[in-house]
Amino acid sequence: MNNKFDALKDDDSGDHEQDQGSPKDSEKEKIEDDDKEQIIIKKKMVVPGAGEHPLQYNYTFWYSRRTPGRPASTQSYEQNIKQIGSFASVEQFWRFYSHMIRPGDLTGHSDFHLFKEGIKPMWEDDANKMGGKWIIRLRKGLASRCWENLILAMLGEQFMVGEEICGAVVSVRFQEDIISIWNKTASDQATTARIRDTLRRVLNLPPNTIMEYKTHTDSIKAWEDFHGLVNASGGR
Amino acid sequence: MSTDFQKTNAKAIPSTRTVAVNEADHMPHDYSTTPGGTLFSTTPGGTRIIYDRKFLLECRSSPLARTPPRGLPTIPGVTSPPTKEPNAKAVNGELLNNNSIVAPETSNAEMFKANNQLKEFKCF
Repeated sequence: MNNKFDALKDDDSGDHEQDQGSPKDSEKEKIEDDDKEQIIIKKKMVVPGAGEHPLQYNYTFWYSRRTPGRPASTQSYEQNIKQIGSFASVEQFWRFYSHMIRPGDLTGHSDFHLFKEGIKPMWEDDANKMGGKWIIRLRKGLASRCWENLILAMLGEQFMVGEEICGAVVSVRFQEDIISIWNKTASDQATTARIRDTLRRVLNLPPNTIMEYKTHTDSIKAWEDFHGLVNASGGR
Repeated sequence: MSTDFQKTNAKAIPSTRTVAVNEADHMPHDYSTTPGGTLFSTTPGGTRIIYDRKFLLECRSSPLARTPPRGLPTIPGVTSPPTKEPNAKAVNGELLNNNSIVAPETSNAEMFKANNQLKEFKCF
């Protein structure tokens, strides 16, 4: 795919047709992304303040929302994802978190992403491209509590898998919500098993909860197959 | 000052110790506490900074954790109330995600239902 932002689109709901832009749009978005990368690089790395509790890693909050109907072409990415901010300490985390709406109260087709600083919440990021994610589908009403428990476990280094964790996502959808945690190496079964077991422990999930592991290469392939199919049949 | 360092009795930090657990009641209540207590907030040698959920939640009440973050973007319905109506802002101040304040979920949820149409936001 030549539009890396497509990776941000939900790969679980199967209604990607809303999001197609023309190749021209993709080019424009690419240029905007280059500009954006430079802005991010220029920003100083955030550090813990005096008297604050440092975290093992710095993290960045992101928010994305699918615009209803077809996106207004060139702006589709800009309207789709936004950095909320980065933090380096427990206290800085709470400052952001306490000024954000709870995921269960979000409207529409929205996601919060919390990734280590420097890792974009995209399949193609160097840290993610060999990786995958555990996915847990939640009935409505559970997302806020599960998301909080998930990110507190991640920030507090409860997963004990070294450098493997990349970030976490909560996706608000119409019928259900989805939380996921991404790691670097999908083929590392000891790591993925440990992440699964930690998730069970920290989220207090009902015993019948289904947990699914999906590699990002599978996600990319599914996305490309889907779009190949759409284009072959005339597309939009 | 003495430079005689040979008389020191320093020992290595123990990495683990064994605690027998015979009854389920003796297991710690919190998921991140090990039987016998959690020994380190930092691993031996300071290689990894670990916090349990209880500690992180306690930090939330610190004054350092309550000031609004610098450079928080205004995203209606996400980092700020969805409308600019005067009465919308009066609901619970600005704290959108603050569990410690009485029933913010209810008030925010109602507010959001009433304002179902999110305004578009701009990036950068």
